[in-house]
Amino acid sequence: MRSTTIGLTALAAAATLALTACGGGSTSGSAPSNAPAGAGGDVTVALTGDGCQPSPATIGSGAVNFKVSNKDAGAVTEAELLSGGQMLGEQENLTPGLDGGFSLELAKGDYQIYCPGAKKDHWDFHVTGDAGKSWKDNPVLVSATTDYGKWVTDQVTRLVTGTQAFAAAVKSGDLTASGIAYGQARVFYEKVEPVAEIWGDLDKNIDGRVDDFDNPADFKGFHRIEQAIFETRKLDGMGPVADELVKNVTSLQQLVAKATYQPAEIANGATELVNEIQKSKVTGEEERYSHIDLLDFKANLDGSMEAFNLLLPALQKTAPELARSVQDRNAAVEAALKPYAQSPGYLNTGYVDYSTVSKDQQKVLSQAVNALGEAMSQVAAKVAQ
Amino acid sequence: MTPALSRRRLFSGLGAVGIGGLVAADATAMSASAANDPQIVPFRAANQAGIVTPQQDRLTFAAFDVVTKDRAELVRLLKTWTTAAESMTKGQLVPGGETDLQAPPADTGEADGLKPGNLTVTIGFGPSLFDDRFGLASKKPAALKPLPKLAPENLDPAYTGGDLCIQACADDPQVTFHAVRNLARLGAGTVVLRWMQLGFGRTASTSSAQATPRNLMGFKDGTRNVRAEQTDVLDRCVWIGDETDQPWLRGGSYVVARRIRMYIETWDRDYLADQQNVFGRYKASGAPLGRTDEFDTPDLGSSDIPDNAHIRLASPEHNGGIHLLRRGYSFTDGIDATGNLLGGLFFIAYMKDPKQFVTVQTALAGDALNEYIQHIGSGVFVCPPGVTPGQYWGQGLFT
Repeated sequence: MRSTTIGLTALAAAATLALTACGGGSTSGSAPSNAPAGAGGDVTVALTGDGCQPSPATIGSGAVNFKVSNKDAGAVTEAELLSGGQMLGEQENLTPGLDGGFSLELAKGDYQIYCPGAKKDHWDFHVTGDAGKSWKDNPVLVSATTDYGKWVTDQVTRLVTGTQAFAAAVKSGDLTASGIAYGQARVFYEKVEPVAEIWGDLDKNIDGRVDDFDNPADFKGFHRIEQAIFETRKLDGMGPVADELVKNVTSLQQLVAKATYQPAEIANGATELVNEIQKSKVTGEEERYSHIDLLDFKANLDGSMEAFNLLLPALQKTAPELARSVQDRNAAVEAALKPYAQSPGYLNTGYVDYSTVSKDQQKVLSQAVNALGEAMSQVAAKVAQ
Repeated sequence: MTPALSRRRLFSGLGAVGIGGLVAADATAMSASAANDPQIVPFRAANQAGIVTPQQDRLTFAAFDVVTKDRAELVRLLKTWTTAAESMTKGQLVPGGETDLQAPPADTGEADGLKPGNLTVTIGFGPSLFDDRFGLASKKPAALKPLPKLAPENLDPAYTGGDLCIQACADDPQVTFHAVRNLARLGAGTVVLRWMQLGFGRTASTSSAQATPRNLMGFKDGTRNVRAEQTDVLDRCVWIGDETDQPWLRGGSYVVARRIRMYIETWDRDYLADQQNVFGRYKASGAPLGRTDEFDTPDLGSSDIPDNAHIRLASPEHNGGIHLLRRGYSFTDGIDATGNLLGGLFFIAYMKDPKQFVTVQTALAGDALNEYIQHIGSGVFVCPPGVTPGQYWGQGLFT
C-alpha cells in the first residue's frame, strides 16, 4: 500500500477535497448528514496560522462531518482527527482558498484536532453520550472487533520474527537466503497493511517505494533491500537498513498492541486490501525487483477475507445477499489465482514468478479482483451499527 | 437534480394508477419542463432510443463480455442496467443512495448537476452471447453471426467482438462516460469491459433538421444518410420486421461498429483534386463532383465521379438499393508507437440485417479511400426493440 494513502482512515469514507480554488464558500464535498437529531452533525474547522479550533468543540456521538477550510494559512494545510495519538481521519493538502473535509462515525470520547505547523497545533474535541443504537450493543460485532485486534497482533508478532530472520540473512551476505526470507517476512505485513498505515510515516519507512522518497538516498525499508537483493545483487551497506526495518516493525508491534478497531474500520480495511491488489500487485508495481507479487496478492486477499469473515456473522443478519456475493467473488479470485500456484514455487512463495504472467493473464486476475472490491466496499455500511 | 427527484416521487406515488395514467403523468411532467429544454430523450418507446434519435455530439461505446455462468445473474444485471439507464437518461442519479457515510455512493457523481444532454443508452447483444452458456441458442437470429473478413481490415482482437454492447450518446462527453462507467460498475462480477471507445464529434446526421458535420478528413460525411423522417426507408432497411426468424426482435435493429483508423498525416498531404476524387465530392461545399449543392443527387452516370470514388461505391444505387443508418463519431486515442496521430472514424451503422453492411463493405474493397484508412476494430450486435413500462432490456431473450 502506498505510504501516502490515509490507511484505515478510509473510515473517513467521505473525505473530499472541494475543487474550489479561488472561489471559497462552496459547500461541494459536504456530505448531507443523515444522522438523527442530536447525534453527530457538522463541525467546522478553519485552518489559520494560530490553529484549528473545531466548532462546535463538543458534539453528540454519531456521524460527524468535519468541514475543513483554509482561507489564507500558507503554512497550515492539514487537519487530522486523533484519538489517543491514533489518526482516525484527515484532510490533507488544503492550500489557501481550498475547502474540504471528512466524515466518520464517532463514539463517545475525547479526541483532538491536530494541524501541523500552526502556533497551537492540538485542539480538544469531545464527543458525548451514546445517541441511538451503536455497534457496541451488538455482541457479535463486539467480539469481531476484539478478535480482529488479536489476529492483527498475532500477525505483527510473526512479522517481527520474520523480519529478524530476514535481517540476519541480509547481514550474513547470503543473497539466496535473503531473497527467500524477504517474502517470508513480508507476507505478514501484506495481511495487515491498512492497520500499519494508521501511524503516519511508519508505513513509508517499512514499505515505501523509491518513488516515495524525495531524495533517493533516503530510500529504506523492505523495498530498499529488495532492490539490493534482486537488482543490484549486492548487499553492501544493507545491514543498517535491515536493523532499522526491524526497529520499525517492532514499533508497529507495540502500537498495534494498544489499538482498537470499529467494525466499519475493519470492513473498510478489507476493501483497502482488495484495492491494494488491484493497484499495486496485479500491476507488478510493488515487487518490481523480486516479482513475488503473487505472494503479496494472496496475503492481501487473506487479510481482507480474515476481516470479512470476522464480520460475517453480523453481516449475514443484515445483508445475507451481500455476504454471499463477497464469498462468491472471493472464490472467483481464488480460482483465477490457482493456475499460478506452485509448490514450493518461485522463492518458496507458493506461486510462480510474476514476471512470467502475461498482460492478458494479469487482466483476468484484475477483473476478478475488481468484482470482489465492488462487493466488499458495500460491507462497512452494513456493519456500522 | 431536485426537479428530477420530485418526478421520481411522483411516479412512486402513482402506484395504483393504471399504465395509461402513468404515461399521462409522464407526458405532463415532460411537457411542463419542455419549456426549459429538458434535453431528455424518452427511454421507453417501441424502438430503442439512440438509433433514429437526432444524433448527439458525443459518444462512449463499450463492448462487454459476460463472465458469470449463471443465467439468473445475467437477467438480474439487465434489470439493474435498465433501471440505471432510464434514470440517467432523465438526468437523475443511479438509484441506490448517496448519503450513507459508510457506503460508497451508488452513483459515481460526475454527472450530478449536468443537464441530461439528450442522453440515450442503447444495448445490443453479440453473437457470442447465444452460445451454450445461458441456453439462448434458440433465441439467436440466423442473421447474427461474426462478420466475414472484409477489406481493408486488420482487426485488433482487443477492439473486436463482445457479448454485449452499450452505446451512450449525449451532447456532453462527461454524460456519456458517466453512463458507461456506472453500468460497468454495476456489472462488476457479471460482466467485464472488453473494449471501449470515446467519440468526440458526430460524423452523421440522422434528422433533416441537422446540418451535415465533417469527418477528420475534412469532408462532409453522411449527406445521403437515412433520416428519421424517412419512415419508409427505416421500415425497409433499419428496423427488424416480420422477416425475422426471431419474433422477439421485431422493432429492433442490428448495429455494426467499426473502428476505422485514418492515416491522417498522409491524407493531409494529398492534393485537393485527388482528395475530392477519392470521395467524389467537393471538399468545401460537399456537393457531388459535377454538381453545385451538397444535397444534389450525385450523377453516377457521369465520369465526373471516378469509378473508385467512395460515394459511388457506397451508394444505394451501386448496392441494390441498400441503405445503412450511419451514426458514427470521430475519435482519437493520441498517437501510435511511431508518433503518428491515432484517430479516425468510429463507424456505427444500424440496419435490418448485417448482410447489408457486408454488401456495401464488399463493394468498398476497391474504394480509393482505402489507401488512407484501415479497419482496426469491429463488432456486430443485435439491438432488441425498445422497452415498454415494466419491461427490462432484452426481456424477450428470457421469456
